[in-house]
Amino acid sequence: MSKPSDLIQGTLDLLILKTVALEPKHGWAIAKRIQQMSREVLQITQGSLYPALHRLEQQGWLKAQPGVTDTGREAKFYTLTAAGRRQLARELESWERLSTAIGLVVREAE
Amino acid sequence: MRRLFDRLLLRLRSLFRGQATDEALRGEIELHLQEEIDALVSRGVSARDARSAALRAFGPRGAIEDACRDTRRVASAEQMAQDLRIAFRSIVRQPTFTAVCTLSIAIAVGVNTMIVGVAADVLFAGPSAAAPDRLISIQVGGGSHTSYPRWRDLEAAGALAGVAGYSIEDAVNWRGPERTLPLVPMIVTPNFFDLLGVPIAMGRGFTAAEARPEANPAVVVVSHGFWRSKLGADRNVVGRSLVINGQSYTIVGVLPDRLRSIPGLGLSPELYLPVSRALVRDLDEPQAAHVQLVGRLRPDQTLPEGRAAFATIASRLAIEYGDTRFGGIAQFEPAGSTSLLGPMASTINAFFAVLVIAVGLVLAIACANVAGLLLARATTRRREMAVRAALGAGRRRLIQQLLAEGFWLALFGTGGGLLLMITLDRMLSRLPLPLPVPLPVHLRAALDGRMLLYALFLTIATTLLCALAPAIQATRPSQLPALKQDDSSFVHRRWTLRRLLVVGQVAVVMVLLAAATIFLRNLAHAQTLNPGFDTTQTLVARIGLVPGRHTHETSRELLESGATEISAIPGVAGASYAWAAPVIGGGRTTGALIPIEGVGQVQALYETNFVGPGFFRTMRVDLVEGREFSADDRRGRPAVAIVNEEFSRRYFGGVNPVGRTIHLPGPNDRAYPATVVGIVGNIKHRSIGEADRAAIYEPYAQRAGAPGTVHVFVLTTREPSQIAATVARILEGMDPSASVNVQPTRQALSSALMPSRVAAALLGALGAVGLSLALVGMFAVVSYSVSRRTPEIGVRIALGATRRNVIALVLREAAVLAGAGAAIGSIAAWGGAAPLAMFLVDGLDPKDPATLAGTALLTVAVSVAAGWGPARRAMRIDPITALRAE
Repeated sequence: MSKPSDLIQGTLDLLILKTVALEPKHGWAIAKRIQQMSREVLQITQGSLYPALHRLEQQGWLKAQPGVTDTGREAKFYTLTAAGRRQLARELESWERLSTAIGLVVREAE
Repeated sequence: MRRLFDRLLLRLRSLFRGQATDEALRGEIELHLQEEIDALVSRGVSARDARSAALRAFGPRGAIEDACRDTRRVASAEQMAQDLRIAFRSIVRQPTFTAVCTLSIAIAVGVNTMIVGVAADVLFAGPSAAAPDRLISIQVGGGSHTSYPRWRDLEAAGALAGVAGYSIEDAVNWRGPERTLPLVPMIVTPNFFDLLGVPIAMGRGFTAAEARPEANPAVVVVSHGFWRSKLGADRNVVGRSLVINGQSYTIVGVLPDRLRSIPGLGLSPELYLPVSRALVRDLDEPQAAHVQLVGRLRPDQTLPEGRAAFATIASRLAIEYGDTRFGGIAQFEPAGSTSLLGPMASTINAFFAVLVIAVGLVLAIACANVAGLLLARATTRRREMAVRAALGAGRRRLIQQLLAEGFWLALFGTGGGLLLMITLDRMLSRLPLPLPVPLPVHLRAALDGRMLLYALFLTIATTLLCALAPAIQATRPSQLPALKQDDSSFVHRRWTLRRLLVVGQVAVVMVLLAAATIFLRNLAHAQTLNPGFDTTQTLVARIGLVPGRHTHETSRELLESGATEISAIPGVAGASYAWAAPVIGGGRTTGALIPIEGVGQVQALYETNFVGPGFFRTMRVDLVEGREFSADDRRGRPAVAIVNEEFSRRYFGGVNPVGRTIHLPGPNDRAYPATVVGIVGNIKHRSIGEADRAAIYEPYAQRAGAPGTVHVFVLTTREPSQIAATVARILEGMDPSASVNVQPTRQALSSALMPSRVAAALLGALGAVGLSLALVGMFAVVSYSVSRRTPEIGVRIALGATRRNVIALVLREAAVLAGAGAAIGSIAAWGGAAPLAMFLVDGLDPKDPATLAGTALLTVAVSVAAGWGPARRAMRIDPITALRAE
């Protein structure tokens, strides 16, 4: 199982923002979604999600609202704020730049 | 803004509700585990294995919780503390700047909290009593007062936990160490202290058992103020005796300082006396008006329940008394609200509203000052801000930093303001409000929890008002790249935020001064008004007779012989007497259906006074027709009356009143006929500013009511004040138990103008405070502008500008700002003046253009004068130095 440090620094934020962009989700659902979408490649330690979630909430990019899970439990659902949406766009852009750059370097090295 | 607010909330929550957020966090994690377990179980994992698998997938729980907590803590409390620490250091490094700002805010907050405190005390504070929220002010039977026997019946019926009564009406005479003083006591029913639980500082309140009127009680409870000022703050005062109305009373208790009496409004009677035959003569008269009622609800009773229970008792008693009016309850409301005052309440409310607005404006001026100074400081700190921004401080963090500085200034200022308020309150506690009647009114502002809360609100409001705009302005991205270049000295923007602030200040000052001027004009105008009687050559003596000591006949004899004796003093041209002194004190307004011979029934509203022979001659009131009363108009002779011109005009419809009979309402609802023997000129009765009222005069000898307070009038040929002492000695000699107060009429009238005087003084003082604060603002702006324009002025001088040109250049700037402010202020004052008309003398226009123009001119002149110092500095600029610096 990979540790969060295996993820490039700051990528977790991007993943979370991207995942919540579609619809409000609670913590467990966010973790599951990331695993699913990455076809189980990204196995983040589920717990490490929470400090990131709370930090994003503090920064005003996420907003927490009460909601009910599929299993009928009351939970804290995270939603993207308008500022969060702008942040997501910024992070996506810099991710594109970074991954293109790394791709170029790696391919060059081959 | 919205987001900022949300984040602020989050931080506050994590600061103050750390426990609760911790719990929420644990809940969130537990929920996560449950979801994971459910998912695993649905895939066929056993419940026990699922739990441990979920825990493993989650990772180190304790460490994760800590990490979550850290994200909050770092972001909130520590950052805030750091900002406050840095801001404090930065503020302390500039003591002059800090002192000026603190002083500005302190003065404004001091007067603001004082006025708001007094207003809150007068308008909203409940009486000092045990469980005051269960006290009910009651009016029954159509009058404000109820008789003693009927109070006793109501109390005995037991509809509520209890009913007490009090009255603050006539003065009693206290024989002080030097002279006899009239004091207005609170006369209360025996159960007053037992039922209300009024706090006592020393001794005790009298009990219902010892204060029964049948026991002829001679006990008294004195106020804290009376104890301090008149009894030498004697710690062993309980048990001492006071001579009141010639009778000895034992002091049983002293009330605490800052006691709020049951009727409120700052009324603080010096003496609390039990109802007795000595004080209230017609104690057994069931129709009399002895006491106002205050009831206490039982603990299990709601207001409507209490009202219903009380109404049942009242209607039962109404049948017993055979008096149907008694069944109606006119009032059943929580005690201590101003709504109980009726029409007077709106004037009092409006008066305080004007004052509260005025002190709010003063605070706004002070904040504008501080904001202006902060803006000026921000421009000199652009480099610092640029460095901070370059080192990675976000704009929000910079604003937060600047707000923290504003917060310290506001905190120091508010603290100083509260000290000022306490000082002002001390001063106020030592001097009673000079009212025309000897009514003991003290206005106090207490530093209690609510006041501290208000001060906290002021601190926050002041912080935002002073620092927010400058902080936003100073951290604007366009302002920040100042590292690279210095600001250009030749860029000269005309309407910066600072200038707008000064314009606003001048405008607000203008409004305050205009309001003060209106009251001053009212005062001046009122003094020139002719009350219709002589004010320059006359004396008026108020005589308080001890109730029960005189019959109507002996009081007439006393007044008659007093007047005769006074007439013999050299320098006296005449003396007479009357029941009421017009404008100065007493009097009665009557509305009645009056049959007039040859005219018919008229519904008349008129003033009544009972006057002695020669009254009109003494007071130099015009005798228009007929004769005035003589010594022959006494009991047993045909009843006579005199009407004034207004009465004749309104109700006689062109018929000559002299010689006609009118039927005046008499005792027991029986009218009696009186012949009109004369018509006199109109005089003012209640206030100097009133429109003419109709009036009927009757001979004191024929028809005065029970003697209480009466007046003697003296017409002199010398300066009246020289004779006052002699007059007082003669009157005091007639009855040593009576209190005598002799004043020149002019002086006695001036206290009738007291409300206008107080308003003019208060608003004038506030205007002056505002003006001086605004001058500081104007001075600072012009100074700053001169220092910014030094190179420009240097160039101008080098190119041949004269000193006169330079001074004009600087003063023109001040004049433009002041002019714009005065123009806006005039418009605001014009619009806001109309409601003030309710305080003014009849016929005085609050929107007088000349007054406004005068005030505007004064404001502009004074403001421009504030620019004189900087202008002289500009004049002395040396072009060579100035240009070299560039």
